[in-house]
Amino acid sequence: MSRPGFVLEVDERTPPLLIHQGEGFRLENLPLGSKVIYGPDPLPGLRDVNAAIRHALLHPHGMEPLPELLRPGMKLTIAFDDISLPLPQMQTPDIRQRILEHVLELAARKGVNDVELVAANALHRRMTPSELKRAVGERVFRAFFPEHLRNHDAEDKDNMVHLGKTDHGEDVELNKRAMESDLLIYVNINLTPMSGGPKSVSVGLAGYNSLRHHHNSHVLKHSRSFNDPPNSAMHHSYNRMADLLGGHVKVFTIETSVNSESFPSAMGFLNKREWEWNLKDQASYLAVKRANEMLPTKMRRKVWQSQYAPYKMTGINAGAPSEVHPLTMAKVHEQQRVEVNGQADIGVFGVPFICPYNVNSIMNPILVTSMGLGYQFNMYLNKPIVRQGGVGIFYHPMPNEFHPVHHPSYIDFFEEVLAETTDPAQLEAKYEKQFATDEWYIHLYRNSYAYHGVHPFYMWYWASHAMDHLGDVIFVGADRKTAARLGFRTATTLGDALEMAKHTVGSSPEISYLHMPPLTLADVR
Amino acid sequence: MGLISEAKLLSRGRDWRGRSRTPRSAEPWAPKHEPKEFPTAWARTPVTGIVRTAIQRGVLKPVAWSQTRVTVEGREYLDGLRGPAIFIANHSSHLDTPMILGSLPRRFTDRLAVGAAADYFFDARWRAFTTALVFNTFPVERYGSRRLRGLAGRLVDDAWSLLLFPEGTRSQDGWMNPFKVGAAALCISKGIPCVPISLRGTYGAMPRGRNWPRPGRPKVVIRYGRPMRAEAGEGVRDFSFRMMSEVTRLWNEEELGWYEALRASAAGQLSAPTGPKAIGAEETPAIEAAPATGTDIEAAAAGTDVVPAEPEDASRWRRIWESTRPLDDERPRPVWPGR
Repeated sequence: MSRPGFVLEVDERTPPLLIHQGEGFRLENLPLGSKVIYGPDPLPGLRDVNAAIRHALLHPHGMEPLPELLRPGMKLTIAFDDISLPLPQMQTPDIRQRILEHVLELAARKGVNDVELVAANALHRRMTPSELKRAVGERVFRAFFPEHLRNHDAEDKDNMVHLGKTDHGEDVELNKRAMESDLLIYVNINLTPMSGGPKSVSVGLAGYNSLRHHHNSHVLKHSRSFNDPPNSAMHHSYNRMADLLGGHVKVFTIETSVNSESFPSAMGFLNKREWEWNLKDQASYLAVKRANEMLPTKMRRKVWQSQYAPYKMTGINAGAPSEVHPLTMAKVHEQQRVEVNGQADIGVFGVPFICPYNVNSIMNPILVTSMGLGYQFNMYLNKPIVRQGGVGIFYHPMPNEFHPVHHPSYIDFFEEVLAETTDPAQLEAKYEKQFATDEWYIHLYRNSYAYHGVHPFYMWYWASHAMDHLGDVIFVGADRKTAARLGFRTATTLGDALEMAKHTVGSSPEISYLHMPPLTLADVR
Repeated sequence: MGLISEAKLLSRGRDWRGRSRTPRSAEPWAPKHEPKEFPTAWARTPVTGIVRTAIQRGVLKPVAWSQTRVTVEGREYLDGLRGPAIFIANHSSHLDTPMILGSLPRRFTDRLAVGAAADYFFDARWRAFTTALVFNTFPVERYGSRRLRGLAGRLVDDAWSLLLFPEGTRSQDGWMNPFKVGAAALCISKGIPCVPISLRGTYGAMPRGRNWPRPGRPKVVIRYGRPMRAEAGEGVRDFSFRMMSEVTRLWNEEELGWYEALRASAAGQLSAPTGPKAIGAEETPAIEAAPATGTDIEAAAAGTDVVPAEPEDASRWRRIWESTRPLDDERPRPVWPGR
């Protein structure tokens, strides 16, 4: 049995602790008495993954076994999570590949000819052929690409269908092929508690017209947190949409959960608790850190992006989304949940090199904000780890760098929109529509590998709850000019940051450090 | 940050092998480790018995008797005693055990095991080995551990007599402490007699902290009482109280003489061997297997002859001063002259 997570109280025995900061990391001596939230150790993976997949498909929850749902002449669409999951990318064979092979084997035996595979990338960038091949595997790729293995295109109006409005007046506009299929199978990798369930189809296969109802500053501000679906306004909206689409298409969802082995063995020390580092871990720490600092930026990024996580599948369940998702959530909580006593005055977060939107790409300042103040701040149940009006201290160098192919609209958002205001509601009202409907961004989204024009806005909304909650945000080691554009303060060291935080939280603040990655969900009581 | 300063930071709080101590809050909960029981069965084999007798009679007794002036009284009470018995005595010195072993007839010492504190005599192997060899000790848990419970009972079943010090520890200042009820419970459960013994002068001869008797051959008196048996229906606490009363009477014989002590005991005028109450010391609760209720103690007191009168309070030095007073050879005259 793996050890549960726990809250460490820094004492004189505690060695310096590891903090991620972009494409790098550092050791930091936290003040005595600081609390450090460690997630549970990685759960053991399923011993026989293929048998588990077969069992899930033949014994689904709330639906007939998959072979009984398949018949010749039917229209079958299989949607799967895009490159934003899991993070970092996992070692091959990818979970999606394993599941797709089983599903397609059944479909082939049943004589289903009309099969379409869709990457559920919503307004994310399209996956490149090589990325698709990596996710679905050589055999599937060869058989389906490019005609029947495609990226979802939310701007292809001919292939989107408006299913109606929810009782809250929310448009539900989704992928037409998927909605008109006799069966829609969704292959999911549930890395965070926010993923899966109603989100899979109603977000992954949606377009701007639908997404704007839950991806906006108001909803995000009231999603506390968006990793706690019952308390997330965003998930309430997902649920309403899922209810509506349930009447149009039969969805057979296959949800999986993975453990927390986020780094390969060469960087195994990143997965271990610092006082348990042996000489080998310490030597690798020194070697990796030194080599990492000596590498040129591009090379460094390449090295980090090619760190494939040895994730192991901890659970797989199939069937009706509403019945499957609670089982998946239980597994995710088992892997990530840690009980924490009370909130602190200062929350410390190390922003890692990766977020869902910079796989094989650059983590630009807006994505840093979305990762730190969005994803990491929201990794809580009940209450944030920092009290209302407290200070968030984040670690990231935050260089002013953008991927011109993947994030063209981000550049304009940074240069033009943020120069004017950083208030999520204001920039939403003034600029969102313009970016969302910009022909050039739409063209790049559809034909190049660009995120949709509206995507940087969503990233900014992602942080709106943290911006609203925190009294001050300080980035340690960040580029001053870039951080200033985002409205954040910078400090060179933790000591400086704590000194700066004094004005907000006094001279003897309580400090909580959320030690992640691996993903850790703080259940704050 | 340079490699050297990085390495320095990394090695902070780690030893030369690169190991870090585990932060307190990260230490895993572990059930309290019970140390392994030191085996003592070998000490009760016939061969060891021969070696032990040789040591006790050839070395221990001559040395002890050469360093002190020993007077043994009441040994004749043991004449009719057969089978296993429990010898209980007040305990104030490491001299106590050699004195009792040296003064007991061989028919008892050949088959006598001595209860010794597991946490003191059995914490180091060399000490455990030596005491088991010389005194035939067996470990007794003093602080309520479940380990070893029942070992004394098994020894009695194997026809071993036991020497126990029911106070549970050596006296701090020469005066007696309340008895624990274990010895009484054992007597009742096994139906065996108990022999009360009072030791006077051992504290003065070799108090806590000394490892050799003080010079000048101080006088030591060992006084055996009549074997006692629990009466039908007598409770453990009552019997334990009676045992303590008997030791008290023997203790007082030193000052009062046999007959006067008997009379004082009958009249309830014996002074308590626990001495005057120490000033400034906290009330020492009686360490017993189960907490005694007030009514228990009152009921027990009603049927005994121990004077519950509170002696005058005294400071610690006065208590020690009194208990180390050399035993006067000018004792009160015995009832039967020439005895």
